[in-house]
Amino acid sequence: MKLLALFVAAAMVAPAATWYLTISGLGGEPDYDQRFKMWAQDIDKSLRKAGDANVTTLIAPTREQIRARFQELANTVKPDDALVVMLIGHGTFDGVDYKFNIPGPDITGAELAALLDRVPAVRQCVVNMTSASGGSIEILRRPNRVVITATKSGTEKNATVFARYWAEALREPAADQDKNEAISVLEAFHYAETKVTDFFQTQQRLATEHALLEDTGKGEGERAPSPENGEGKLASAFTVVRLGANADAARDPAKRLLLEKKDELEQAIDKLKYEKAALPEQEYKKQLTTLLLDLARTQEALDSGTSK
Amino acid sequence: MARPSRCWSVALLLSASFVRAQTLDQAEALWKARRYQEANEVFKVLVAAQPKNALYRVRWGRMYLEHWQPDIAQGLFDEALAIQPNDAAAILGKALCAAADFRGDADELARKALNLDPKLLEAQELLARLALEDDDTAKAAEEAHKALTLDANSTQGKAILATIDWLADKKDSRWDPHAARGYETAGHFFMLNRRYEESVAFYRKAIELDPRLDTARSQLGLNLMRLGQNDEAYRQLKTCWDNGFQDNATKNSLVLMDSYKNYITYKTGRTVLKLHKKEAELLHPYFESEMLRDIADYEKKYRFKLDTPVQVEVYPDHEDFAVRTLGMPGLGALGVTFDYSIAMDSPSGRPPGSFHWASTLRHEMSHVFTLSMTNSHVPRWFTEGMAVHEETAASAEWGDRLGPDELVAIKNHRLLPVAELDRGFVHPVSPAQVVISYYQAGKICDYINEKWGWDTLLAMLRDFGAGEDTPTVIHRELKIEPGEFDKLFFAKVEAETKRTADNLAEWKLAVPALAKFAVAKDYDRVIKEGQHWEDIYPDYVEGGNVYELVAGAYRAKGDTADEIGQLERYVHAGGRNPETIKLLAKDLVGLGKKNEAAAVLDRLNFIYPMDNDLHLQLGELWFDERNAAGAVREFRALVAHSPIDPAQAHFDLARAYNLNHQPEQAKSELVDALETAPGFRPAQRLLLELSK
Repeated sequence: MKLLALFVAAAMVAPAATWYLTISGLGGEPDYDQRFKMWAQDIDKSLRKAGDANVTTLIAPTREQIRARFQELANTVKPDDALVVMLIGHGTFDGVDYKFNIPGPDITGAELAALLDRVPAVRQCVVNMTSASGGSIEILRRPNRVVITATKSGTEKNATVFARYWAEALREPAADQDKNEAISVLEAFHYAETKVTDFFQTQQRLATEHALLEDTGKGEGERAPSPENGEGKLASAFTVVRLGANADAARDPAKRLLLEKKDELEQAIDKLKYEKAALPEQEYKKQLTTLLLDLARTQEALDSGTSK
Repeated sequence: MARPSRCWSVALLLSASFVRAQTLDQAEALWKARRYQEANEVFKVLVAAQPKNALYRVRWGRMYLEHWQPDIAQGLFDEALAIQPNDAAAILGKALCAAADFRGDADELARKALNLDPKLLEAQELLARLALEDDDTAKAAEEAHKALTLDANSTQGKAILATIDWLADKKDSRWDPHAARGYETAGHFFMLNRRYEESVAFYRKAIELDPRLDTARSQLGLNLMRLGQNDEAYRQLKTCWDNGFQDNATKNSLVLMDSYKNYITYKTGRTVLKLHKKEAELLHPYFESEMLRDIADYEKKYRFKLDTPVQVEVYPDHEDFAVRTLGMPGLGALGVTFDYSIAMDSPSGRPPGSFHWASTLRHEMSHVFTLSMTNSHVPRWFTEGMAVHEETAASAEWGDRLGPDELVAIKNHRLLPVAELDRGFVHPVSPAQVVISYYQAGKICDYINEKWGWDTLLAMLRDFGAGEDTPTVIHRELKIEPGEFDKLFFAKVEAETKRTADNLAEWKLAVPALAKFAVAKDYDRVIKEGQHWEDIYPDYVEGGNVYELVAGAYRAKGDTADEIGQLERYVHAGGRNPETIKLLAKDLVGLGKKNEAAAVLDRLNFIYPMDNDLHLQLGELWFDERNAAGAVREFRALVAHSPIDPAQAHFDLARAYNLNHQPEQAKSELVDALETAPGFRPAQRLLLELSK
């Protein structure tokens, strides 16, 4: 929570752009072609609706077309910008190399990594939603890059449904767990991962995919990123899509005092939450209620433009 | 013990010197001393040395049968019969395997063995046992007397005759076997008749006489467990385990009882509800309210007051539920009742749409009443028939639909006479016969209710409680003989199902064709022909049913009104596909019919309440319709079931509490919402409003 607030503050100082590239690969049969295309278009629509102009979606492109788009990005994107690359389709892993299936020669994990490295954006996120995508973690991971894969290894070879729920996360307010009108990579991951788990449970089928998130640049990926396993820190501060104009108030100097108070209260709430286990339940709830009420009043004042 | 064939090579290496030292007597002596592994090794060597000796295989098979491995035993009996096709002992072995599994061919096999060897006492004893399992007391007595003719000291012959007396509440029987195995047999029959307290008493007598009779001790443990006396049940089963008696029932029951720490118990004055902690908060309100409703309805209907709370255990893992029914014949796979205790599957343990838990609960609750009112003297067919009757009496949409197996059985005149209907449950000739018997028993009770009235069904219950048998009760209360009743009933049920049964073969071909028309987008044809086939077999609501195909065709044509009509017919016919039901609700919402949509969705709470989307939609509908209590229930369910958006779920529940005039609960939920998302503005605003 606090990490996200700091990130928003940093963004105020130097507004940066987020560049999106969504690629749907080869389906192999009409049903999959249609499905992959539909999910890619769903993502495209959500991103454009959020007002982001830097959105590119490639449906079943060749390797040359992918290279060309990455070259454009390499020429345009600034280091302060962010890059989000989303891959939908079938993938394979032969124990050594991961390949993303596209018309013509497939593109390998190593080549994808090289293309990503050429884009100057320091903060990057790669969401590889193909089958066998777990086999790409090792080659794609890098400091300051979030890597999400739909499967836990290269041996989960069945067609995946993760992309369906990732696309849903980008337009679904329910994915915005902290209600800050922005969906972070971590929130979208949690949403999609939970939905995939529900999908297999509801169908009473053995789960054939287990999504992972890696954002330390050196890990194997985690199904449940948390402070305990060290994964998710970068992802929680990486906004993948904004749902509202949440930064407007922050730009008004007249509200600085209120904003400072709000910030202090949020910090106090975070601190109290860390102390939760050490406090009697009633005492915890009493203190929390006091802080939350204070925060609500401060927010009310911010919304109405008056200082208290 | 390992199956012998894998060990041939080892055995052969040992053969030359070892075989001379091994004899069948030694194997038998080791077996008798329960040194099964050593006995097994001797049998291996004997069979390797004399592969054409059928006797070795038969005796080896009997040891495996005693050592709770009937599958291996069956294989050895088959091998013996391949060597010697008319080996009576091998056929008896197969009959015993069939009987252990309550299979319908046990009687035929025992008879065949007896024909080959008229002095084969065990076969004769088995025939007596099988007849009594079918509740055919006269035949059981006749077969038992034949056993006593073969051997005046036949323990099982005496046990069967004594059990007949004891089941009829004659305390002192001159046939009392005064033997552990005899009391074990009595315990078995009291269990079959769902008289668990008495069953426990006989098993206790058995192990008093022979403390090493672990088969009886294990059954004692299982029956104590059925009665909810878990502490002693655990001790008895643990003793069996420590003694080396480790059959599946003993092992799995111990494992299950170890898992009870994961269950949460909710009590009211009338109910005890045990739910797995992972779904307890979600299911608690739904199950408890249905239990209380069932008890209230039945007490009025049966004019009988329960004097003990009813306990319901709900198992999310079907295998755990299955443990509760181990060793019992012909049980429905969804729920089981032991006196005042019910064990059943959780809706989470079954694919969505395949299980109507409230209907199953209604069914099992009926057993609590029929068993209590008759002191468990009611025959199996009647208690099941009443329970099936009660499902559809609660709602025409509940209960099982008429399936193809039942249709074929009716058409081919394979329904059982009412006086023999218990056989369909206890010794079915095929798995389908159990299902058919449930259907038949339910229809019989429907028929009696319709023609003779509810009071007649109650009078029949009283007669059964007084110990009367089916022919006597039919004669007394319906004023006709059982044979005449069968004629009337068969004629009625045949007439009711004739159109469907006569066209079943064509229907089976027509429905896949309809699906092809739908794929080809020939929607007019789907609608026109679909309606015809729907009328032919209106009860068919399973996967690939006509209702959904026709509704899909209407939807594709943009005809929402007819789509809604079609989906409503599907739901009223008992259709339970959650996605289809949600589609109907969505269509109704689109027309502004929120109340009707909520009523449609509410059905799903009885089918698959594990669906968060259901609770969210239904909560919102009821909130909009000012049904505050309904909204609270649905949003509470959502909060209890790991919502994907916890802050929103707590906020929605807060709104519902506020609507229901429960401001303190509302504030508490708002704090929970804001704990997750401190900046959640709608929650902040409501908290401020409620804190003024």
